[in-house]
Amino acid sequence: MDIAFLIESAVKVLIVFGFVLAGVPLVVWMERKVIGHMQDRIGPQRVGPFGLLQTIADGMKLFFKEDLVPAGADRVVFIMAPALPVITAFLALCVIPFGDTVNVFGRQVPLQVTDVNIAILWILGTTSMGVYGIVLGGWASNSKYPLLGGLRSSAQMISYELAQGISLVSVILMTGTLSLAAIVRQQEHLWFIVPQFFAFVIYILCGIAETNRAPFDLAEAETELVAGFHTEYSSMKFALYFLAEYANMMVVSGIAISVFFGGWHGPVLPPVVWFLIKLSLFLFFYVWLRATFPRLRYDQLMAFGWKVLLPASLLNLAVTAVVLALQGAK
Amino acid sequence: MTEAILFSLFSITAVFFAVNVIFRRNAVHCALHLVGVLLSISGLFVLLNAQFIAAIQILVYAGAIMVLFLFVVMLLNVRGESPLLTPGAAKGFGFFFAALAFVELLWVALSGGGSEGTARPPAALPPGFGSPAEIGRILYSTWLFPFEVTSILLLIAVIGAVVLAKRKFA
Repeated sequence: MDIAFLIESAVKVLIVFGFVLAGVPLVVWMERKVIGHMQDRIGPQRVGPFGLLQTIADGMKLFFKEDLVPAGADRVVFIMAPALPVITAFLALCVIPFGDTVNVFGRQVPLQVTDVNIAILWILGTTSMGVYGIVLGGWASNSKYPLLGGLRSSAQMISYELAQGISLVSVILMTGTLSLAAIVRQQEHLWFIVPQFFAFVIYILCGIAETNRAPFDLAEAETELVAGFHTEYSSMKFALYFLAEYANMMVVSGIAISVFFGGWHGPVLPPVVWFLIKLSLFLFFYVWLRATFPRLRYDQLMAFGWKVLLPASLLNLAVTAVVLALQGAK
Repeated sequence: MTEAILFSLFSITAVFFAVNVIFRRNAVHCALHLVGVLLSISGLFVLLNAQFIAAIQILVYAGAIMVLFLFVVMLLNVRGESPLLTPGAAKGFGFFFAALAFVELLWVALSGGGSEGTARPPAALPPGFGSPAEIGRILYSTWLFPFEVTSILLLIAVIGAVVLAKRKFA
């Protein structure tokens, strides 16, 4: 383990960290602007050009808010809970390749924090740990609505994780590897969205449910649960939950791009630019869904996960396996 | 050297969390410390070149089973403990099993079985050891029968759970 490797890794970690921290305010601004226009409003426009600094102003406001801990709360868990989903989101981002190998001062540097041979398992593992932040936040608040929100989200995330994992397995069957960098390299000529369209549809539906975004945002359904698991949170703890939600959207989009949309592959423009374009499109898609779909009812959500998505993903896996066996590939 | 430091680190955290699982009063705290144990053990698996097992440990145990544990603990809202045994009987049982374990360990140590555990040069790892591909290969060749039996056992458990849940209590 030489010094150059350490420096290289540290720089890449800082780049990803900085990108997410700087990107989240932009995404929030984009979300408010896009939803505004879709609903025939104009969205934020007062702070900075096109309202670009609105999220920064909101962030500043959150900094100066009083940091409340409810009297009956479990203090340690209450304080720890908001950090967990942020940590797991950053851990998952470590393995997503955002560009080809580049030559920096004579070193071949892969644009990815680390390429592990179990990348997909790593991502599924870290995202499944992310649910603790929500469940514990809901429990530690010692209040009815947060607890209900936390319980809902734990049931929801466990249910949708299964179909999500299985939809990724059908791609793994085709590639024969769990490394995201290797999966991206195999998509130079054909993106896996073409042969695995159904797997992609299942994956992205589960991904939206995993990140608790509309129309699957039952964990914080404000019409029923005040604000769900983060009802009792204020100030920067609330901001951390907010950050985690958007960072997790980036994780889900990043995996979808790497596994189904050819990663950084694309004509003419440099690979990193292609990755950013695809990422922006996915985040736009998230916002678009939120602006156009009403929230599901809770029983509908569970029935959809277990009775539609899970059997569909298993069927897709079986068909993939049979086709591959007939081709005699891999 | 790095390995020794990491091994000590993960072992110490594993033992620390395990002790806390027993001594904490609050059931949710116990469950959280159990998650800590599982994560530490997953670190130990990585040191043993078993990355796949490590990932599965996090994914299945820490990520799914413990979430269900928490789910149940929160739903039942366990406050304090409701002991199955009287304190005296519990202590009796505890001493009995601790003594049994101690005698067993002593017997193993004295009967020379301990020489198995003395330091030997580590065997060279076969290529691909611990990789998902290799584990998949031996699961579907050498250990195919136990593997299938396990899956049928799990299926029985699932069907049993559904039948119990669907039964109407009049």
